[in-house]
Amino acid sequence: MEDKEERIETSLVAIVIDATPAKKFASQPLDGSSMMNRIFDSLIAFGNAHLMQASHNKLAIIACNSKSTKFLYPSMDGTSRSYHNRPGQYDMFAKVDSDVRHGLGELILNDMTDNDSTKSDSLLGGAMARALSYIHRVQRELSLSHQLKPRVLVVSGSCDSALQYMTFMNVFFTAQKENVVIDCCMMDTDSGLLQQGCDITGGQYLHIPSVAGLLEYLLWVFLPSPSCRSKIVLPPPTKVDYRAACFCHHKLVDIGWVCSVCLSIFCKFSIMCTTCNTEFKLNRPAIVPAKSKKRARIE
Amino acid sequence: MADEDETKEYRWESGYEKTWEAIKEDDDGLLESNVADLVARAKRKRAALKDTGAIQLGMMRHLFVVVDASACMFLQDLKPTRFLCVLKLLEVFVHEFFDLNPISQLGILTTKMKRSEQITVLAGNQKKHIEALQQLKDLSCEGEPSLQNSLERAMNGLKNMPAYSSREILVLFGSLTTCDPGDIQKTIKSLKDNNIRVSIIGLAAEVRICQEIAKKTGGTYNVLIDDHHLKELILNQVQPPAVAGSMEASLVKMGFPGASPIVNDGTSDSSADHAPAYCLCHIESETSSLMGPNGYNCPQCGSRYCELPVECKQCGLTLVSAPHLARSYHHLFPIKPFIERAQVRETTHCFACAKLFVEAETNVYECENCNQIVCLDCDLFIRETLHTCPGCASDPVTAQMKTN
Repeated sequence: MEDKEERIETSLVAIVIDATPAKKFASQPLDGSSMMNRIFDSLIAFGNAHLMQASHNKLAIIACNSKSTKFLYPSMDGTSRSYHNRPGQYDMFAKVDSDVRHGLGELILNDMTDNDSTKSDSLLGGAMARALSYIHRVQRELSLSHQLKPRVLVVSGSCDSALQYMTFMNVFFTAQKENVVIDCCMMDTDSGLLQQGCDITGGQYLHIPSVAGLLEYLLWVFLPSPSCRSKIVLPPPTKVDYRAACFCHHKLVDIGWVCSVCLSIFCKFSIMCTTCNTEFKLNRPAIVPAKSKKRARIE
Repeated sequence: MADEDETKEYRWESGYEKTWEAIKEDDDGLLESNVADLVARAKRKRAALKDTGAIQLGMMRHLFVVVDASACMFLQDLKPTRFLCVLKLLEVFVHEFFDLNPISQLGILTTKMKRSEQITVLAGNQKKHIEALQQLKDLSCEGEPSLQNSLERAMNGLKNMPAYSSREILVLFGSLTTCDPGDIQKTIKSLKDNNIRVSIIGLAAEVRICQEIAKKTGGTYNVLIDDHHLKELILNQVQPPAVAGSMEASLVKMGFPGASPIVNDGTSDSSADHAPAYCLCHIESETSSLMGPNGYNCPQCGSRYCELPVECKQCGLTLVSAPHLARSYHHLFPIKPFIERAQVRETTHCFACAKLFVEAETNVYECENCNQIVCLDCDLFIRETLHTCPGCASDPVTAQMKTN
């Protein structure tokens, strides 16, 4: 018999979707509707499926491209739009659907003003940072009878951006500290950084072979919460390469030299650190002066 | 308090402090929001004070913690006894220390019966220290402490550490007396010569010799007010300190083993990295078992270890993984404090958490680089935990950071 009351478990999923338009799969038409449309349909269906699991469940959707990041749901617009829900449809599903489509439209329109958006990287780090802040706020606002189980699902097709390394690592360490699990569903390429993040936080990383089946993968692999994943046979963990890249050539090193001041990694021993400009003391073994040989006196 | 500089008055010299006037009820007669507000404001003030700009921090730390185990630690002014309270807080400290300084090493000493004893050697393994602290709970506190003996023993351990590391001693001193065999001034002088910084936390009252030791070696001396203050003082020591001035910089050779987890896809990896092997970290204990293909291999000598960071017993190479070093990178790129503003009409929501700004009197905080507005709670969260401004990371111009 349990004396303490059971706390209601509230599961919060924050979906971070990379909506960079300049990806080859996104513009391929399939059955009349473009692939991008299909991806967002799958995501809305997944979000609604999560909300359907329990009445206390919460959802957040954040989209990003190379220009900005945006909260699609809950929408940050002050105006409340009228939702056209079909008869018998749960109001919240219609709200999610409407907010996501409207927000996505605004996000893409924002990007249309500049033509060279294909060059810069997608702002996934910023979107994940906002997701974590949102999770932190919900944790604060939730009453004591609820226990929050948060997780972040990243759906992306972009490669790693080496310049956002710091942002990504800060996000991963924060997630580890706040007990947030980061899952990742990669559509086109593999991402080493996100693999590390999933490994650090204990989440699931999956590289999808075909984007047309996105909804199936989401529902089968990512819908179960982390607590019941031990009972399900999920795709095995991938080999995560934890080697560091040297700062001079950006190639992975097995054994490197680390500056004790700024912790930057070099592949060869050098006299000066290029990052913090400190000179290093050369650790030479002490040279013992040769003893002058005394001539043996012959007496 | 009395441990600030001598020009301020002592507490008994100033007039009555009417603390009840600081708290006011709000319209509904509730105090909650007011108290939370005061707490948040105090936190913010402290966080803002810590922003010291670009100074050199000692990242690789070798720290000895000296715990007073003399008879006065059985006093019950900290519940349940001073000793147990300190041990519990030290467990939290060890956890946070290795979280924030993954490549550092820690050792624990106690002092009682006019001698000092070593509980754990300098090591980077978190679990061993926490286990040792839990076993210390049964220790009986008796006798008198000896400050000089414990400092000498710690110094012996730290003397042989490489010059580029930051050598520190943290003393948790509960007694008002110390029983030393020789002249403590000589000890202080040799501490200074060896570049060792001593910080002392007093549990009873201010003791002059502690003040002198801390001042001469460049550490801090604080006396606690209550147990929350003690937790704060201990956790202050977790942050890497500024470099004492004459620390030599050098390049440290480190190994980065690639992990070898189970690969189930049928293709067998024929390298010896994945073969089952005994790990060297447990080889001396009776319960060591044959490690499967999991584990990390030292790139220089090939020995297997279960966890990182570790110093290879065979070849002496320090093995770390890239995230361990990355944990300390945020100290190198600190965020500038946000500017406090009165509420702006145009922004209705906090940029980071999408919270609606309700009342007109609350202050909002703006980042200098990206000009995004966040609320107070997000400001604290960004400052203490996240270490990245979401606004700067969401702006294509500022997101491409100089990550060198």
